[in-house]
Amino acid sequence: MNSISQRDAFWNKVYEMAKEDRNVVVITADMGAPSLDKFKKDLSSQFVNVGIAEQNAINLAAGLSLTGKKVFTYAIAPFITLRCLEQIRVQNAIMEIPITIVGVGAGFGYPDSGPTHHILEDIAILRAMPNIIINNITDSIMASAFGEISYNAKKTNYIRLDRQLIPDIYTRKHDFTKGLAILKEGKDFYLIATGSMTHTALSIADKLAAKKIQVGVIDVYTFPIKEELFLNTIKGAKKLISLEEHFLPGGLGSSVCEILNDHKILIPVKRIGLPTDKGYEYCYKYGGREVIREYYGIDDMSIERKVMEFLK
Amino acid sequence: MDNNMSEFISKSKEIRKIILEMCIKAGTGHVTSSLSCIDILIALYHGKVLNYDANNPEWSGRDRFILSKGQGSPALYAVLADIGFFDKKELEKFAQKDGKFGVHLQHDVPGVEITSGSLGHGFGIAAGIALGAKMNKEFYMVFALIGDGECYEGSVWETAMFSSHNRLNNLVAIVDRNYLCVTDFTENLVRLEPFEDKWKSFGWDVLRIDGHSFEEIFKSLEGIRSRKSINPLVIIADTVKGKGIESMCYNPLWHAVVPTGEEEEKAKLCLERWCNYE
Repeated sequence: MNSISQRDAFWNKVYEMAKEDRNVVVITADMGAPSLDKFKKDLSSQFVNVGIAEQNAINLAAGLSLTGKKVFTYAIAPFITLRCLEQIRVQNAIMEIPITIVGVGAGFGYPDSGPTHHILEDIAILRAMPNIIINNITDSIMASAFGEISYNAKKTNYIRLDRQLIPDIYTRKHDFTKGLAILKEGKDFYLIATGSMTHTALSIADKLAAKKIQVGVIDVYTFPIKEELFLNTIKGAKKLISLEEHFLPGGLGSSVCEILNDHKILIPVKRIGLPTDKGYEYCYKYGGREVIREYYGIDDMSIERKVMEFLK
Repeated sequence: MDNNMSEFISKSKEIRKIILEMCIKAGTGHVTSSLSCIDILIALYHGKVLNYDANNPEWSGRDRFILSKGQGSPALYAVLADIGFFDKKELEKFAQKDGKFGVHLQHDVPGVEITSGSLGHGFGIAAGIALGAKMNKEFYMVFALIGDGECYEGSVWETAMFSSHNRLNNLVAIVDRNYLCVTDFTENLVRLEPFEDKWKSFGWDVLRIDGHSFEEIFKSLEGIRSRKSINPLVIIADTVKGKGIESMCYNPLWHAVVPTGEEEEKAKLCLERWCNYE
């Protein structure tokens, strides 16, 4: 198990850059982290706490960006995306003022906190807007790399961090500007996953391999999906399965189907994610992330069963 | 500061006519919202309260003026054209085919800082710019013109609280207090008064003026760069929505409505009479 969270890996990298460039400013909506305590102590003039006021955080960030600052806004993911969605739409999507929006707690990352603290719709919602790049972070090595990519970004980018400690699967050599990666080679079948589900996909691919079913794994971590690379990556595949801890409409599976359809690639796709017909009911189930996943049918066993049926 | 008031009064009459004409030609635009704030804009721009360079709109030392009530765009466009930021002929194409700008404020127009139309945003952006100016040790001022109806947005008060806490004394908010919102008078909708007390309790220095009196507008802005206070300043400017066109005042129905037919003639006549009387 990795000893550093995605959050701390990300902020440690931002801290390194902020020490060299006084134009880096962090705006937190009263959200902390051990790595941010260090930032606040050493770089207090570059640290702004606006209180629990996300709309103001985005507006201030836009103003600061207009004065040449490289601004990072930070809060729990649903609050720093959806509470201030219209501010993001006007300032960042319409006016194209670049900032980095950092949200922690992807999916059921706060499993004991109920649906207010889960984030299961943001990829669909932010993907609907031009000029916003979504980066759904897979491990802490990627989180650190995106600290630097965000610093250099010319467009607004949303960093979607998992709250829980997840093992590292990437090496520092990986080029994270590519937006997606083949983590396990496949031929006829691919599991296409994002965020924490990429880890599930790897584990399921291993289990299927033991049953002599070869399934590749692709990690999609940037939206909009880079189409050309994606199409080259899945070339020749006969069936695809998408995996996401996100409601199905508008998420990863939708993105995949849109691209395939637009390019007249008519292969079967099984979308595995959260169905909307159960609403938020299971978000009130407690006992950990895996319990909630089980209710929604996206736990390891359910996914394995669905994949096996689909590949028959 | 030029205190020749008759010059500004003449300009105010001239630009009021332009605003009415451009909206009538386009068949759209917020005439009354523009007329309530036009005198403030003339004082800021024609009165050289603001530092700007019409030949170099992006000049880094310029004061930043943020029209947070983006529906007042005809007033700002007419002023910017008049002082040479762009060709006055553009006003004739307002919100029409081949026109460069429409009903709500656009950031890509020379002299305009932001896109606005959704309320409660511009004020926060202005505070961000003011904070950035302090961080960068730059000495330009930031002015935000906000509507009184805009003050129903909670984000306005998030920004108000933040700005005083962070001692943004380089930020000046001017509230166009025209007492009318979209469907009714503010005090019927949800009371805004006692308005000065609200701002004071949020830590702002407060002035209240007649927003159609150039004497009072200029007086409130005197010494604006050398204020001793650490607090941001809000100037609540009491105004009349539709000022200059009696037939369009004191009636919420004229929000975002352009007069046509008989009403058009009446409006023009009213404005002409007002111009002759003032």
